[in-house]
Amino acid sequence: MNNKNNIQTCTLGELMIYQIALSIEDGILAFHGFGSPLVQLALHLAKHTHAPRLILVAGATYGVNPTPAFLTPTSNDFAMNRGAECHLNIEELFDLAASGRLGRMFLSGLQIDRWGNLNVTRLGNDARVTLKLPGGGGGCNLSCDAAHVTIWTAAHRVVPNDQGRRRYRLVEHCDFVTSIGHRTSEGIHRSSLPLRGQGPDCMITDLGVFDFNGDGHLQLKAVYPDTSVELVAENTGFDFPVTENLTTADLPDVALIEFIRNLDPMKIHQRELGPTDRERTFQLNGA
Amino acid sequence: MYTQADKRCALGDLISHVQRGDCVAIGGGLSWREPMAALRELIRQNIKALKLVGSAHGIDIDLLCGAGVVAVSAESYVGFEQDFGMAINYRRACEAGVVKVEDNCCYTLVQQLRAAISGLPFMPIRSVQGTDFMQLHPEFKIMVCPFTGEQLVLVPALKPDVAILHAHYADQHGNLHIEGPPVADILFAKASEKVIVTVEEIISHEVLAKKGVTIPYFYVTAISEVPYGAHPTSCYPRYAYDREHTAYYYQTAKHSANGFREDYLNPFVYDCKDNDAYIEAIGGKARLASLEQWSAGMEQWMKLYE
Repeated sequence: MNNKNNIQTCTLGELMIYQIALSIEDGILAFHGFGSPLVQLALHLAKHTHAPRLILVAGATYGVNPTPAFLTPTSNDFAMNRGAECHLNIEELFDLAASGRLGRMFLSGLQIDRWGNLNVTRLGNDARVTLKLPGGGGGCNLSCDAAHVTIWTAAHRVVPNDQGRRRYRLVEHCDFVTSIGHRTSEGIHRSSLPLRGQGPDCMITDLGVFDFNGDGHLQLKAVYPDTSVELVAENTGFDFPVTENLTTADLPDVALIEFIRNLDPMKIHQRELGPTDRERTFQLNGA
Repeated sequence: MYTQADKRCALGDLISHVQRGDCVAIGGGLSWREPMAALRELIRQNIKALKLVGSAHGIDIDLLCGAGVVAVSAESYVGFEQDFGMAINYRRACEAGVVKVEDNCCYTLVQQLRAAISGLPFMPIRSVQGTDFMQLHPEFKIMVCPFTGEQLVLVPALKPDVAILHAHYADQHGNLHIEGPPVADILFAKASEKVIVTVEEIISHEVLAKKGVTIPYFYVTAISEVPYGAHPTSCYPRYAYDREHTAYYYQTAKHSANGFREDYLNPFVYDCKDNDAYIEAIGGKARLASLEQWSAGMEQWMKLYE
């Protein structure tokens, strides 16, 4: 393989992008939303490799199959929309989802519970909002309508504060359910709600890769070369099952890494990662 | 229906169509084509207690919150994405209880606007069930579909008092041409009682018709020619997003509410009597020329994001 840049390692960001890309099926319609550079790159990577027939709808611009000049820090930018084959508008994209034609959506949260419920609306309660989060955009609707959902977060690891207390990203309970997973906060199963989509089927974090078991509960499926089940458990606010055949997640190959670096020369995707995580690299097999 | 032959007016007169307590839909999205000059004029006229409705927004909503003219936010997202993160003025206002949080979701909003456009009291959706938006919006109702027996959510028609848009071109009759993503502008224009629009340039109907009419004139109440009226958001292909100015904005907001007032609102809003004065304040023609350079090549374009 032509490795003119002599790439020996991949970064955590590149590993996460690759793992998100692996969740994307060929031939489906998928939408990357906004404020999600890891996902934006994953969709382009998937289309470039195993999913050439992917109908890639760009968040914010609703351009179909664009070839971005470079990744920008804001999603509604002509650079992100360059070369789009055609355009949807806001109602058309959401109509496609509502009628069951959005194959996969990508959602995240400041709080994520064991059933894949997500909160990006607020901390606190109705009477007192202690932290107003930006809001979910169309995430609430799409968590119900999209056939499948990939959850991602680059902030699974929680650093304890001075009192040793951790504010988990993966929490026992979401203060507000912006996007629905497999059970509501009242314990109602998703399957008993008249929703179109099947809900989340995987979650990629900075510490590992999860799927959901038969109960709709997050289940650890793979760790990374520098993480372990214990580390994941220490950073998770609830107990979780581990799959019988736990693996170490595959790394992207050199060609894929080069593709990501060319598409994101300003390393916008690293802004989703904390400063320490930006330094994490993994030795490539055979490099 | 707005049928007058000539809808041109000054920016100050355009904004006088907005009244205290109005439900306002702001066009554009994120860092793209926000009607910023109109919003600065709204703040100068001190029109308060507004209820804002919309999809994914950023500096537009944050600026209005920082100026204290918002009572309720029913936006679906307010932030600066990976660029700067959370919207500081918006957060401060929501957490202080000054702005009531009534977050909405994009498709719910679309269906509510469609109900208004179609003259119906509501539209049904299948989504939202099982999420906490049902509690946040007690006006959403559940019904069993008489045809299929499915349980659906009914969301009431939303008819904003006024939509504020920024478009590339208008003719004097009020036909609008927008290039690039219209976001929710067309829905807002069709659903709202009044539609007020700033445009980069007013051109003849013949030239506009060749470009294509994005929004027909009879929806449009009044128009005002305000070149660079979306700054610091982008209005491609004419000019890119002014990240440097937005970084300064964000720093002042981050400092404190008072710091934002002194170092941003005063120099860039209150002390500018009109948009020409604002353009001088942000660095005049030289600054604008650098934003227009995006098309000169990839390097020039990427430089704007450094």
